[in-house]
Amino acid sequence: MTLPGPMGLLAATGGETGRELVALGAALLVAGLLARAGRRIGLPTIPLFMAAGILTGPYTPGPVLIREPADLGLLTTLGLILLLFHLGLEFSLDDLLAGGRRLLLAGAAYLAINLSAGVAIGSGLGWGGRETLVIAGIVGISSSAIVTKLLVELRRLANPETGLLLGIVVVEDVFLAIYLALLQPVLGEAEGVGEAVTSVARGMVFLVLMVALARWGRGPIGRLLGTGDDELLTVCFVGVAVLIAGVAANVGVSDAIGAFLAGQVVAGTSVTHRVERLVLPLRDLFAAMFFFAFGLSVDPGALTSVAGPVAVAVAVTAIGCIVAGVIAARIQGLGTDAAANIGLTVMARGEFSLILASLAVAAGLDGRLGPFTAGYVLVLAVAGPLAASRSHLLARRLPTRLFPAPALSGKDIP
Amino acid sequence: MSDQIREQELPGIGRRYSVQAEGGEVSVVIHHSGRRDVYLSDPSSRRPPAVATLSDDQARRLGAVLAGAYFQPTLTRHIEAVVGGLLIDWVTVAGDSPGAGRSIADLQVRRQTRMTIVAILRGDDAIVVPEPTEVLEAGDRVVIVGRPEDLDGFVRHVAG
Repeated sequence: MTLPGPMGLLAATGGETGRELVALGAALLVAGLLARAGRRIGLPTIPLFMAAGILTGPYTPGPVLIREPADLGLLTTLGLILLLFHLGLEFSLDDLLAGGRRLLLAGAAYLAINLSAGVAIGSGLGWGGRETLVIAGIVGISSSAIVTKLLVELRRLANPETGLLLGIVVVEDVFLAIYLALLQPVLGEAEGVGEAVTSVARGMVFLVLMVALARWGRGPIGRLLGTGDDELLTVCFVGVAVLIAGVAANVGVSDAIGAFLAGQVVAGTSVTHRVERLVLPLRDLFAAMFFFAFGLSVDPGALTSVAGPVAVAVAVTAIGCIVAGVIAARIQGLGTDAAANIGLTVMARGEFSLILASLAVAAGLDGRLGPFTAGYVLVLAVAGPLAASRSHLLARRLPTRLFPAPALSGKDIP
Repeated sequence: MSDQIREQELPGIGRRYSVQAEGGEVSVVIHHSGRRDVYLSDPSSRRPPAVATLSDDQARRLGAVLAGAYFQPTLTRHIEAVVGGLLIDWVTVAGDSPGAGRSIADLQVRRQTRMTIVAILRGDDAIVVPEPTEVLEAGDRVVIVGRPEDLDGFVRHVAG
């Protein structure tokens, strides 16, 4: 059998594996180079990995490297697992509780505003009840990867609002964990209330078991993984993450929540800090494939057909985040600068929105969720960081009367 | 001005330590990766902070300088502490030192120099109260205890 063009030639000489390797290598290289170009102008990598997928995908002119996301198979699932494993690893309830009441309040305000905005958008679109529930999460949850990277790159780590801002992101992460667990029966095949209840119950039993393992299993897990050798540690912790994710998927909890819990199980053991360091390159590589594969599935034609909903969702999110920023700054007694920084930084959307959309589409929900989320993330993953880097423009326009505390930062000193 | 160092967790990034110094606020962010960012900001102005990024190793060296330790890359003399007439010090073994490649017993450290090796710092490892059979290697930092007047003899005998 012959394939057209240079790919056909390769197929004739190198066989199927050779052709697949060339496609995968070229895809990664395109994604990497595109993201590198974007970095020069301060763009995060996620939207550019997606763009690479769209550009080399089957729906746009030019060479098609990989025909459909399914061709990347387990590689993209590994990306999803490692993203959530890393989140679980870094996540600590103690951080949240140490932040105190103000942080919880700010986080709750953020979630209340943005989730209800999501529900409003979802019901406005009228794609269905389950779709609305997923859209609430897609629209409501910030990208912690983009937010943390932004803060480091914009050199805002010493700012007074940074602790609070990261606290809001942690509150979102907690919500995400619970939300993923509750979403599964909704996405699943549950017929009727009885089956849905069993499914939730099964999920909860698994959750409780894993949380217990995370709390009391630190010693044995640490010893199981503990080895002075980075190579062996890497192989073992990836094994734990994939195994728990797989078991979770088998008992009807999603692999995503399983991977998150696997991260929680490893967190707090004697090897945590080394795993934190070792998981990063793996996560980056496989997550890039996940974002690329998501891009592959996006037809630019479908993107234009959901342009209206995307525009509305972007506008509502921007307003919701700025309002949440003002509330958070007020709670902490900070001024206009802090409010603008918080609002525009938490506006970035990325990995979690894409994960939710891919889970929803895989479960057979309305197919428009795919292009909708792609468009929404593409816009906000680019506009968010650009807006955050120019937050002083917004700070100047925020009415100072909203901030009763003597806001030092409200003073204009050139 | 306060001597208080404020500590704050930055979830997903690391920890921040800030101190109010003359001329501005100094914040050190220790990333999980070991990277350190040092921020110097003036809270009364809107100017962006000055930021320097250090590697883990650089940060440790700079920390030693800030702590008042006189730092030299080839350690021959260093901080020493005298507690009740007893000296605690360390000596680095170089490749061409008389002690390199020889065991503590072989060197007859205690009899020849009247000083005692209490620990050996080798790379990231610390060998506390080494066995007499322990062989000194180039690059080892040997922590010793003894009378101050015996230090020079020890340095000649082991480090050269």
